[in-house]
Order: sequence, then C-alpha cells, then structure tokens
Amino acid sequence: MSQQLVLKNINKNFGSLVAVNNVNLEIEPGEFLCFLGPSGCGKTTLLRIITGFEQPSSGTIEYNGQVINDIIPQKRDFGIVFQSYALFPNMTVEQNVAFGLKMRKMPKGEINKRVSEILKLVGLTEWKTHYPSQLSGGQQQRVALGRAIAIKPKVLLLDEPLSALDAKIRVKLRTVIKRLQQDLGITMIYVTHDQEEALSMADRIAIMKDGDIQQIGSPWEIYKSPTSSFVAGFVGTSNFIAGKKDGKNIKIDGYSLTVNGSDEIKQDIVYLAIRPEKILLIADHTNTDGYLKNNFIEAKAEVITFLGAVVQITFTVDNIEMNVDITENDFEQIGIRRGDNIKLYFPPDAFHLYAEKPGTVI
Amino acid sequence: MNSASNKSAPQEYEVPSFRLEMDRFVVPAVTIVIGLLLAFFLLFPLYSILQLSFFEDGVVSLSTFTLDNFHKYFTTAYTLNALWHSLYVSFVTTIIVTIITFFSAYALTRTTIKGKGFFRSIIMMPLIAPSIMQALALIYLFGRNGLITAHLFETEWNIYGPVGIIVSEVLYCLPHSFVILFTTLSAVDIRLDEAAESLGASPIKVFTKITLPSAKYGIFSAAALTFNLTITDFGNPVVIGGNYNVLATEIYSQVTNLYRFDLGATISIILLIPSMMAFLLNYYISRKSFSMISGAARPFIPPSKRLKKVAFTIYSSLVSASIILIFATVIIGSFVKVWPYDWTLTLDHYTFPSIGGYSAIWTSFWISVIVGVIGSFLTLVAGYVMETRKPFFKQTLYFFSVMPAAIPGLVMGLGYILAFNRPYFPFYGTPWIIVINIVICNFTLGVLSSVSNLKNIDPSIEEASISLGGDTIQSFFRIIFPLARVAYFQNFTYFFMRSMTTISAVIFLVSASVHLAAIEIIMLDNDGWTASANAMCTCIIVIVLVVLGISNIVNKRTSHIPSGAAS
Repeated sequence: MSQQLVLKNINKNFGSLVAVNNVNLEIEPGEFLCFLGPSGCGKTTLLRIITGFEQPSSGTIEYNGQVINDIIPQKRDFGIVFQSYALFPNMTVEQNVAFGLKMRKMPKGEINKRVSEILKLVGLTEWKTHYPSQLSGGQQQRVALGRAIAIKPKVLLLDEPLSALDAKIRVKLRTVIKRLQQDLGITMIYVTHDQEEALSMADRIAIMKDGDIQQIGSPWEIYKSPTSSFVAGFVGTSNFIAGKKDGKNIKIDGYSLTVNGSDEIKQDIVYLAIRPEKILLIADHTNTDGYLKNNFIEAKAEVITFLGAVVQITFTVDNIEMNVDITENDFEQIGIRRGDNIKLYFPPDAFHLYAEKPGTVI
Repeated sequence: MNSASNKSAPQEYEVPSFRLEMDRFVVPAVTIVIGLLLAFFLLFPLYSILQLSFFEDGVVSLSTFTLDNFHKYFTTAYTLNALWHSLYVSFVTTIIVTIITFFSAYALTRTTIKGKGFFRSIIMMPLIAPSIMQALALIYLFGRNGLITAHLFETEWNIYGPVGIIVSEVLYCLPHSFVILFTTLSAVDIRLDEAAESLGASPIKVFTKITLPSAKYGIFSAAALTFNLTITDFGNPVVIGGNYNVLATEIYSQVTNLYRFDLGATISIILLIPSMMAFLLNYYISRKSFSMISGAARPFIPPSKRLKKVAFTIYSSLVSASIILIFATVIIGSFVKVWPYDWTLTLDHYTFPSIGGYSAIWTSFWISVIVGVIGSFLTLVAGYVMETRKPFFKQTLYFFSVMPAAIPGLVMGLGYILAFNRPYFPFYGTPWIIVINIVICNFTLGVLSSVSNLKNIDPSIEEASISLGGDTIQSFFRIIFPLARVAYFQNFTYFFMRSMTTISAVIFLVSASVHLAAIEIIMLDNDGWTASANAMCTCIIVIVLVVLGISNIVNKRTSHIPSGAAS
C-alpha cells in the first residue's frame, strides 16, 4: 500500500500575490491531516490544487507514485466537502448521494444499495426523499459528506465544512467526521481556521501562514512545542514578552529570569512565550521548595475573568498585559480580588524562545 | 496508479474516460459556435451596411470610397429634417416619460397607496402589444375623424405629426422606463429619507436632497433607454407621423418606395450614432448603479400622509387610465362596425379577407414559439459558458452579446437584406431568417438575465458536480438547467413577446410567402382597413396574454422543486 499523496515544491501565484509558497508534504494513506491557518494563509488554495480546480504555478502532486498534475478533477476520484455544502437543490437527498455513482454508470440496483448504506452511515435514512432546503444545516452537511464518500474516493478533502454551522452542531459533526474517517480508513485532508477542530480531530496538523507551512506535527507536538512565535500565538494562547539577554539569564523589567534554552539564542533581544496555564500563582501556603528564587514576579491582579472551569487573571509586566489561568478550585481557595497583589512563578522550562517578533494574530 | 487502486477496490466503477476526453472540447466548441453565430448574423450585416454607405455600389476598394451618400443626405433638406425631427421627438418623449415614470415608481415604492399591484400591472401592459397600437388608438381618438377631436369638440385639429408621435411614444415607453426606476427606488434605502426627516428636513428638501440624488443613476439610465427606444421606433411614427418624417420612417421609404438601398444604409448609420450613444450611456450608468443598491434596503414603508396618498392615488389612476384608454380604444374599435359612427358590434373585422385570413397570425405564433425556445436556450448556454466556464475569449463574446441592444431593429433588418439576399443563403426568404433576426436582436437582454440568474448559483455546486465525475454537459442539463429554470421561462416569454410584437426588426424580412401579424397591422392600416388593423393588434395582445398566463402557471406548478434563486 503506497497510496501516498505527495506534494513536491508546490507554488501558486495569483499575479504578484504568493498564495502557496514551496510546500512539500507527504500524506500517508488513512491519515487525517488538517491545514490550519488564518484566512488568506493559502490553505484553501492548496486544497484546490490537490482537487485539481487550480493548477500549481510550479511543483508536482503525486498520488500512488504517479504525477497527477494533468489529471482533470473528474478523474482524480477525490471527494470534496464544501463549506457551503454545495448540495444540488433540485435533487433529493438520495439523488444527491447517487449523483457520483450515476456519473460512473453504476447499475441501478447497486446504486440503491450503496445509497442506503451511505444514508445509514450518516444517519439520514428517513430523510432520503427530502430536498436539501427542507433540512437543517447540520443535516445538509451530512448529506454532502455522504455524497462525497459514496464514490469511495481515494482522498476526501474538506474545505471548512463546519464553519457555517452552530457551535453545538459543529462539535457533534466533528465526531461524525472523525468516526467516518476511522471506520472507512479513508485519507482525509481537512481545511480549517478553527484550532479546536484541528486539535481534536487531526492525526497531523500543518500550520499555514502566508502560503508557507510553518510547522507540521501531531496536535500534541504543535501545542507543546511550537517552533515559531506565530504557531505559539495561533494555536492556543500564549503570553508574549520581549526580554534582553543578561548572561545566562533573561532580563525583563528588572527581573532576571532563568529560562531553559536561552543560550541557544544568539541575538540580544529574545521573545518569550509562555502559556497562561503554565504560570503558577503562588499563595501563602504554597510550598516553593526547589523553585528558582529569581523566577518569581510580583504584580497586581487587574482583571479577573471567570471562564467556567478556568479563571483568568490579567496582570501587567513591563507594560505588557499577561494572563495566568488557574482552576476555579484554586481561585476559590486563594481568594483573590481585583487589585490584590499577586506573586507568580515562571518555571524555567515553561518558556518557548523565539528570535522573531510574534505577528499580530487573528 | 491503476494497478494498486484496482487491487484495493476491484469492484469500483470509473467515470468513462472517453466522455471526459470529449469534455475538454465542449466549452471551446460552444464558445466558438456562439461567437461565429454572432459574428455572422450581427457583424456581417452591419458590415454590409457600412460597405454600401461608404463605397460606390458597395465595392470595397480605395478608389470607390466615397462620402457622396452622406453629402447627399446632409444637403437634402427633406432627409436632413428627418434627423432633426427624430432628435426633437426623442428628446421631448424622454423628458416626459422620465418624469411620469419617476412619480409612478415613487408612488409604488415610497407611498402606502392602495392598489399598487393593479397600477403596476397596468403600466407594464404596453409590453404585450406592438409599438403601433398607441398610434392606432390615438388616431381613433384624436385623428381627423377622431372620437374626441371631431365628434366631442368638433375641432379641425388632429394629432398627426410630431404631437402624435410624441404621445404614442410616451405611452409605448412607459413600462421600459418604469421598470428601471421602480428597481432603483426599491433598492435605495428608505432609511436615508427617514434619517433626513428625523433631523428636521422638510419633505420637499428630503425629496430634492436625498431621494432624487440617490436615484440619479436610475433616472439617467431610464432616460437613455427611452431615448433609444423612441429614436429607433418605427411602428408608431409610420402610422401617426403623417408628413413628419423621422429617421426610421425615412430608412423604410428610401428602401421600399425609392429602392435606394445605399441611402437607406447611410441613414441607418446616422440613426445608429445617437442610438448607440444612448445605449452606451445606459450601459455605463447601469453598471455604476449596482453599487448604489444597498443590501440593507428595507421593504417596509412608513405610512404616508393622507394628502400624499390621495395625490398619488389620483396620479397613478390617471396614468393607468390613459393606458387602459389606449387598449380599450383598439379593442373596442376592432369590434364595432364603423368607428365612431356606427357602434353596432361585429366580428367582420376579424375575417381579414385582404390578407388571406389568419395565416399571418399562425406564422407569427409558431415563429415566436421557436424564437422563444431557441433564444432562451441559446442565451442561457451563452450565459453559462461565459459566467461559469470563463472561456478564453470571454470578453469578446460578452461584447458581441451586448452589442445587439445598441443596434436599431430596422438597421439590423436592412443589414440582413444586404448581407443575406444571395442565392447561396438558403434561409433567406424563409421564416428562419426571421427567427434568427429576432433572436439576435434580443440577445442582449436574454444573456444579461441569464448571467444574473446564474450568478445566484453557488459556484461550489458546479465544482461539487465536477468532483463527483460530472462533465460539462451532464452538469448543465442535470443541475444548472433545472436551477436556472425560472430564468429560462422568463426568457422564453420575453423572446416570445418580443417576437410577437416586433415590427422594425422584421419589416424588411417578410416576404411574399412569409407574413407576420405585427407587420400586417401596418399593411392593413395602409390599405385603409383600419378596424382590421385594430383587430390584428387585439389578436396579438390576446395571444401574448395567453402565453404569459400559461408560462405563469407552469412556473407555479414547478415551484415546489427548489431552484437556484431560492437557496
């Protein structure tokens, strides 16, 4: 089995705009890959290049060891699910699902059998004679999914399939899609700008920005070790602060913090990223044995935001607003009020260091 | 890749390769065919006119180039007058029509008067009749023997001449201008008016500072269209103009009475210039006016004051009454023995002995059905190819497609004679040349309405079909055509209506063997069978109404199947 989809040096320019910039990627059979990035990052263009609706300006797409650049979309046998569902409004649910099979001249009996299997799979059996306009958004997208998998595609491509739906339905459909992918063992390429979707569903995530793939890895890797400040800011939230090298330590607003890996950075100014849940709020009774003395920072709790299980406390260091997340439990025990002075501990291994300034995100 | 993928799914069916190979050629082939059709039936006739007017005996060479025809035209007082007459009549008509329809549109979009549906239907009515009915009715009312002039007021004055042309053109142009202004005024946000009022502006100030300026593109566009329609109209001036010649009637008499094809071609070019300018102005403005249409426009209209309601109700009633009067006169005139002396009802005028009975009506009917089917299909295909498939020379095709609207029907008709009156064009002298001519003459509106309808269809739908293995032809017939069904019906009725009522485009193309109902009206009137002319006019109106009704019913019957516009 080498039904691998390989993108080699893919570039796409629209006039002077570089939409996709030298993308290299190998997608394994049965893999669930997400393209994640802000709008305009080139993820949809890349998807359209794979489908064949766009031709790359340069580079090759290979499937199963064969270059498929010149194969028209109809012959690629890739299923596509669109953000707008793109159901055929003049056809019933059944007819929609059967369309690709009819195009393949499948005998009628087999079509009927396949269609009922698919409808069962997406849970729409009792809706088969309805028109798309009579269905809810979530149901319509399930029809679209069914229609795309009915042709047993080699790869299923999904272009922001859930972004037009309500939050609750979105979460439910995630499970539907993930289960389909696992049950059918189908290769899926999923485009989204929603990090939660990507983190919860994908085997691997490719983070894109300005046509580049910034980082590619499992959701865990992406979250735990973002290799660029963009990724650190885009996936999850991070506090960013600029610091100055001070021997082995890094100097921020009068504090000299010990930061793991600081010796690897050559230039004078470094950018530190730390996730809000990694900062520790120190209460009077907290046992601070083994903590580094120089990594404590004192600040004032300026805003307290209750987010359910988590409470976020906003404070300022060096004129930079930062957040610390604590559990609602801890919050209750410690009993902080707005305006209270707080003591924070920044573990030396919780930082990510970057040479470049984080761009503005979202 | 086949070996491996076949192993994993041995039973899978594949999209037939041959069909997809052929599919590569479908769009280019269709584009080329449509392009050639337009080149052959639009550009070639126009070229023939240029040829005959600028070259001696139509022989193109450096030595035969001549401006003699133009010199002759501009130095002959009688023919030169036709230009001044045309400009004068069109200018006055344009001003009157634009003012009347602006207030009609205002009444129906900005006030809360009752009976809007009725007023709207009435003002649209002139579309269903040939542009000769107005003149016929006005002669019955205000002619030498007119019911109102000669009998009610016993005056010698009659309406023949410029006044007659202007009044009949006004009544003919109302619906065209109204549609544009109605759309404009419904689209412009009423909340602007309200905001101004809430800031203390007087109603008159609101009207002159907000309402009028916000509708200015619509006003110019409607005016340009009216000017174009009037200057190119032939039916009304030929009946009511008397000795007052205009460009359109002059072309006709040069060709038909004097057999001066070269002068006819020359005058055609002189007519082409102002009509083309008006068209370009309209085209340019209507592109701009799209940006004025606000998505936030709100259909709710605040209740109007009593006085305003009364005034606009009276106004709308007067406009409707004049249109009804025209229709009533023609219809009643066709059923009474001798208008206005003997009011005994009779069906005598419906026997048409002089033109051999109903054959012309049936010819018109069948030609119009064919025009409707072919025209709406061709424009939908052209729209689809241009809008969805974006072929290589889309811009050229688009330019050719909008060109026909700029060319007066009479000019096209003359061009057809000059270009195709050759033994090797077998369609010349048959009904087919009429079908082709009408389809081409009305191509623009058909394409524009197809394109705007296709724009409502989500492009992903087309891509979904492709990704599932659908080729162009399958996508078109299984998905796009069903979704554009409403546009297809609308275009069918449009082409049918135009074909039944057009006079100027086809007057040069009817022959001894092919008669058309609308043309027979002129012939009957010329030969003194005025009441029969009215009867013929009534027949056309009835047929158009019946077809409109049927198409409405079909549309409603199939409305349970969702269409592109609904989703």
